[in-house]
Amino acid sequence: MTVSNKLTTLCTAFALATMLAACSEPSTEAAASAEATTATTSAASTSAPAPRYADGAINFDREPGKVGYWGKASQHALIEKGVEVGINENGLLANVADAAKVAPLMDWSLALYQYRQANGLKDDPVKGCISPAGPRHLQDPGGFRMIQDRNFNRVYVMFGGGNRNWRLIHLDGRAPPNPDEVTATYYGYSTGHWDGDSLVVESSGFNDRFWFSNGGLPHTQALHLTERFTRMDHDTLTYQVTVNDPNTYTRPWTAEWALEWVDGEIKEHFCEQ
Amino acid sequence: MILTRLVSRTIRRVISQLVLGALTLLGALHSVQAQEGYPLDGTWRGEWGKEATVAVLVMNWDGKAINGRINPGRNTINFTKASLDAAIWQVHVEATSKEGQPIVIDGKLENIGSYNRTITGTWTQNGVANPIVLTRE
Repeated sequence: MTVSNKLTTLCTAFALATMLAACSEPSTEAAASAEATTATTSAASTSAPAPRYADGAINFDREPGKVGYWGKASQHALIEKGVEVGINENGLLANVADAAKVAPLMDWSLALYQYRQANGLKDDPVKGCISPAGPRHLQDPGGFRMIQDRNFNRVYVMFGGGNRNWRLIHLDGRAPPNPDEVTATYYGYSTGHWDGDSLVVESSGFNDRFWFSNGGLPHTQALHLTERFTRMDHDTLTYQVTVNDPNTYTRPWTAEWALEWVDGEIKEHFCEQ
Repeated sequence: MILTRLVSRTIRRVISQLVLGALTLLGALHSVQAQEGYPLDGTWRGEWGKEATVAVLVMNWDGKAINGRINPGRNTINFTKASLDAAIWQVHVEATSKEGQPIVIDGKLENIGSYNRTITGTWTQNGVANPIVLTRE
């Protein structure tokens, strides 16, 4: 483990602990509003309804006094919706010839994707403890939580996998930064809004130092993601992501999968190399 | 005497740990800088000709074309043409020197998964071909 990673781990652990402590002791307003659990969006489901705050807003996280997190993604790799190809849990295609079906890749990105597939994903930056950022984090076996900080109108997505980091989604109506001026980062810059019970998030400002899919689908700094989180009921979260990177793909494309509510706490995991 | 030896040993140990730490940090920073997007994006450096003339290339993919320049600075030479045949990872660059001599760089992109990937081929200027290896910095 490098010095840089150790420092990152220490800082992450400290910040994570601070935020979890803050979020586990909600304000009076939040504590009062968090009690209510009302309607569900899936009447046919056998699961309990999705929890809500007193004002009716959906709660994407655990209710007070309970534990749990999101995990067990129904799909383990990023693939365009509707495409059927053989692919394993690490994102390796059963047949590299299917690479062109996975997403609408340009010539160069298809060649690079095939190169990464053909060499068994050996160059995956995750192996050097670089974050599995973007939608990949939401397929990681480590799971994640979505903690709504209603006082500051933002959401923390806390990851159990990778470097056990978090990303921030601003819901205060701020405009996204100018893509030409923002400093590119692993998690990008996210702003969100509510569309009914769904949280819609727009993200850009990503750097190109990580793989945003475990199979090695390329991206550039032009990457823009539109994500849609919907808690269908207590135990089901659907996730939809539209990938728009005009420097890598011939058109925007969409993938989606479901996640299950997992009882218990996210297990401790730190990346070491 | 014993005290002097002890102090000397301690100083040597501290210095060696500092050097090791610095090297580790450099290694970490290097891996952090890895770039995984368009494989030609970035700065490339190599030498060509009998006098080992240094050439620095900066390339950037905008989704439609590879934009680039040679030796950025007061003597910048802009690419007039650049392409990548991804099927065989063959790179082709054309430019014109300040003296009006045509420059053609042809090479094969190698070690693509590495931060320090290379382009191995020829630098042809004014009709004279010289071998060149450009390494991504």
